Amino acid sequence: MDKDTDTPYGMPEPSTVTWREGVDRSTAVVVMAFVASSVAWLLVGSGFALVASIKLHTPGFLGDWAWLTFGRIRPAHLNTVIYGWGSMAGIGVLLWLTARLCRVTLPFRLPLLVACVLWNVAVAGGTWSILAGHGTSVEWLEFPYHWSFVFAGLFAILMFSALTMFTRRRVSHIYVSQWYLLGSVLWFPFLYAQGNALIHGNLATGVVQASANWWFAHNVLGLWFTPIGLAAVYYLLPKILGRPIHSYYLSILGFWTLALFYNWAGTHHLIGGPIPAWLVTVGTVGSVMMFIPVTTVAINHHMTTKGHFDKLRISPTLRFIVFGAMSYTVVSFQGSLQALRTVNEVSHFTHYTVAHAHLGVYSFFSMVMFGSIYYIGPRLTGREWPSAALIKGHFWLTAVGMAMYWVGLTWGGWFQGLAMNNPDIPFMDTVLMMIPYLWSRTLAGVLMTIGHVVFAVSLWRIFWLRASDVKGPTLFDPSAAVTGGEG
Amino acid sequence: MALIYIFIFGSVVVFGLTAVAGLVWAVRTGQLRDFSAGATSIFDDDEPVGVMTDAFPAVDEAAAPTPPEEGPDSG
Repeated sequence: MDKDTDTPYGMPEPSTVTWREGVDRSTAVVVMAFVASSVAWLLVGSGFALVASIKLHTPGFLGDWAWLTFGRIRPAHLNTVIYGWGSMAGIGVLLWLTARLCRVTLPFRLPLLVACVLWNVAVAGGTWSILAGHGTSVEWLEFPYHWSFVFAGLFAILMFSALTMFTRRRVSHIYVSQWYLLGSVLWFPFLYAQGNALIHGNLATGVVQASANWWFAHNVLGLWFTPIGLAAVYYLLPKILGRPIHSYYLSILGFWTLALFYNWAGTHHLIGGPIPAWLVTVGTVGSVMMFIPVTTVAINHHMTTKGHFDKLRISPTLRFIVFGAMSYTVVSFQGSLQALRTVNEVSHFTHYTVAHAHLGVYSFFSMVMFGSIYYIGPRLTGREWPSAALIKGHFWLTAVGMAMYWVGLTWGGWFQGLAMNNPDIPFMDTVLMMIPYLWSRTLAGVLMTIGHVVFAVSLWRIFWLRASDVKGPTLFDPSAAVTGGEG
Repeated sequence: MALIYIFIFGSVVVFGLTAVAGLVWAVRTGQLRDFSAGATSIFDDDEPVGVMTDAFPAVDEAAAPTPPEEGPDSG
């Protein structure tokens, strides 16, 4: 079960060079469309985030414009980054990775392109509605309900494409990444349909609605973003390093335990709320059981990379992937501990939770997506990334920004929680105490946003640069990259 | 209304069954055997174990390390 490099290299394929290039190129237009859209939404979402963040320490900022009030701009940020950036980048990576793992060309390219366009329309329409004041106030489902029909249809197209590739696959062994991708593409559409039917169909009302809400919202992370992110890490980490996963057995165990435990965890969001205690306990138990899959992933990622951390200097993808993988370990252990009642009574309703959420969706998922896009881009276009400096700039701006964001709000949020639990401290003192931490968040957000602009410039140049402007793709041959630099 | 309940509880059942069916299928088709072959199934003759497949474009001198090692890695 441990790595054994003497074994044959998996499925023998007669013409391995051509199959991979053929598969990559077949996904090019669709994946580029999803990735380009996702990055556009990332920029929009970052703008919303900055406005929301500034309002927290400077309440009068843009305060006279109803469309930009906190109650609208904050859900606008959440929904654009979740459904615009995260989901679209995730779908791009999912389609590319599924095609590669199944060794088949991408089917249904035209329907998928149409789906990409409609997806953009739905995110834009939903965001417009939120800003106009027609959001639903149900967290993670703020888009007015009619957009959920559009998304459900698009998820169906996605599911159908992924399953078609799976049934046409030309490999007999299902690699661990494929399991994760199948999990996300099979389970999330069901979850989305159920969540919407329960909540927007008014079947779950009152506290039951809150339970359904958080069951849904937490599973967006657990059954959609996390499996796609882990699938990318489990493929790219060994692939870039040229080292098989440390323990394949643990990776499979990790997948099945994630499938078993993650979807129980959602009700830990309602600790202290007016729902039955056993329901909260179920969520807490599910969260703590997540120690098992997270430990398997942490061991695997660390032991696979161990002794090769110097390669972070060589590979742009590896930097982002390792940063993301480490964040996954931290955010998951932190999440399990946060689900304990004793910890939660301090951290709940504070900025600590906000820091935790960004550690998951940004530091883990988004960084892994950045890394994946850096790996995929040259393989789709046959061109080199235009500038190593831009990639490094992107990495350091977002990594430092994220670290600053997390440290400031985790630290500040914990003291905020302690202060709010102390009846001797007036609430206003707690509010004023948070202002420096909130400024640190805005500063961190500015760094991350600049990083996103840098990323968008890179992406623009690799996708739309004229072929004559670029050197040959050196990424395919590391030795050429080392010797054939243009400075 | 009844239709919606059928949809919801039906979805719950299908949702759970996909996981059970997946696991049963994996066991029956031997997916859970021979883990070392599974781990190397993403490598090929042209992208074998021991070769890195990603590097910065136009790496500058300072960041350029020795070329990646050849052959299977024992570290």
